[in-house]
Amino acid sequence: MNLSIKQLFGRKPKSSNIAKQRLKLVITQDRVDVDDRFMTRLHHELAEVLAKYFEFSASSVKMNLKQEGNSYILVADFPYTKFHDMSMRR
Amino acid sequence: MGKVIVVTSGKGGVGKTTSTANLGTALALLGKSVVLVDADVGLRNLDIVMGLESRVVYTSMDVIEKQCELNKALVRDRRVDGLMLLAASQKNNKDDMQPEQMKAICDKLRTTYDFTLVDSPAGIERGFRNASAGADEAIVVTTPDVSAIRDADRIIGLLQNVEIEPINLVINRFSPQLVGNGSMMDQADVLDILNIDLIGVVPEDSGVITSTNRGIPLVYEDGSPGAQAYMRIARRLTGQRIPIPDLEQKGLFSNILNWFTKNR
Ligand SMILES: Nc1ncnc2c1ncn2[C@@H]1O[C@H](COP(=O)(O)OP(=O)(O)O)[C@@H](O)[C@H]1O
Ligand SMILES: [Mg+2]
Repeated sequence: MNLSIKQLFGRKPKSSNIAKQRLKLVITQDRVDVDDRFMTRLHHELAEVLAKYFEFSASSVKMNLKQEGNSYILVADFPYTKFHDMSMRR
Repeated sequence: MGKVIVVTSGKGGVGKTTSTANLGTALALLGKSVVLVDADVGLRNLDIVMGLESRVVYTSMDVIEKQCELNKALVRDRRVDGLMLLAASQKNNKDDMQPEQMKAICDKLRTTYDFTLVDSPAGIERGFRNASAGADEAIVVTTPDVSAIRDADRIIGLLQNVEIEPINLVINRFSPQLVGNGSMMDQADVLDILNIDLIGVVPEDSGVITSTNRGIPLVYEDGSPGAQAYMRIARRLTGQRIPIPDLEQKGLFSNILNWFTKNR
């Protein structure tokens, strides 16, 4: 428990502090939601393109966005069972 | 080459139009050439807040539909040199305009005016996309309350996606008294959440309402706290480095408590 002097003296928490805590939670969730929507769209579009060349099961596809410092790295696993286009194997 | 700055917020009623009118006037008073563009098609307001409503003949829609040249559609504000207004059409709606058409207008204005300020409608849909299409930079206006800040965060994300930079924050309707007694978030709280650069804090000022009634932007009334805040923001927009004064009025008791909590 981390009681500050402010909390010890104050009878009830300031409403501005409550506002800030609630906002922090909701904004974190908002940002995740936006990222989720983006990833779902990217997933669909990438799968559409890759399906032209490979055969794979949609459920085996894994995509992740990793943050390293200021940049993001997209890691995508598309385990495929076979090529559609034979000429690409050379 | 001038700058095109979109003034936006997400939430309605937080002070976008008030800020556009006052910052535009302030920049002109500082000797800059300025054009104010109302991008709130169908709900135009900037003309009446500026007191120029009776002089609007053409709108941006007339320019897009090639009914008139861009220069002819600009209304000159006679109170100060170098200030123009491009009104929005009231009979059209947001879908009648394409983002590229707004961008074309901004691209032309940028070659002639130091500052083009685009007053954005509320929302994150078409109206916002039109307003931001031609922008180099953004000013995000928020009030220090939960819903306005949440919407501001969403807008900031969208602006970052299209690489509009810098994005500067204006905190409007700030009340030192409410902050002092703990019922309003302070500057630091808002910045901690939104994490962008602050360009100014505008206090709650009844002068905003009376000046809007008259159609005379507040910045003409030198003495008022709101006017001073807008003048400082305008100076910062021109590149002057001016510190942001601490508007908070804390009681002695709260100051002592703050000292303790900070130095623990
Ligand atoms: N700093 C302020 N102090 C007092 N009233 C304000 C202030 N800023 C804006 N207002 C009032 O808030 C209302 C909404 O402002 P407006 O600029 O039209 O917002 P928006 O364009 O974001 O919808 C108006 O009635 C305006 O007079
Ligand atoms: Mg408005």
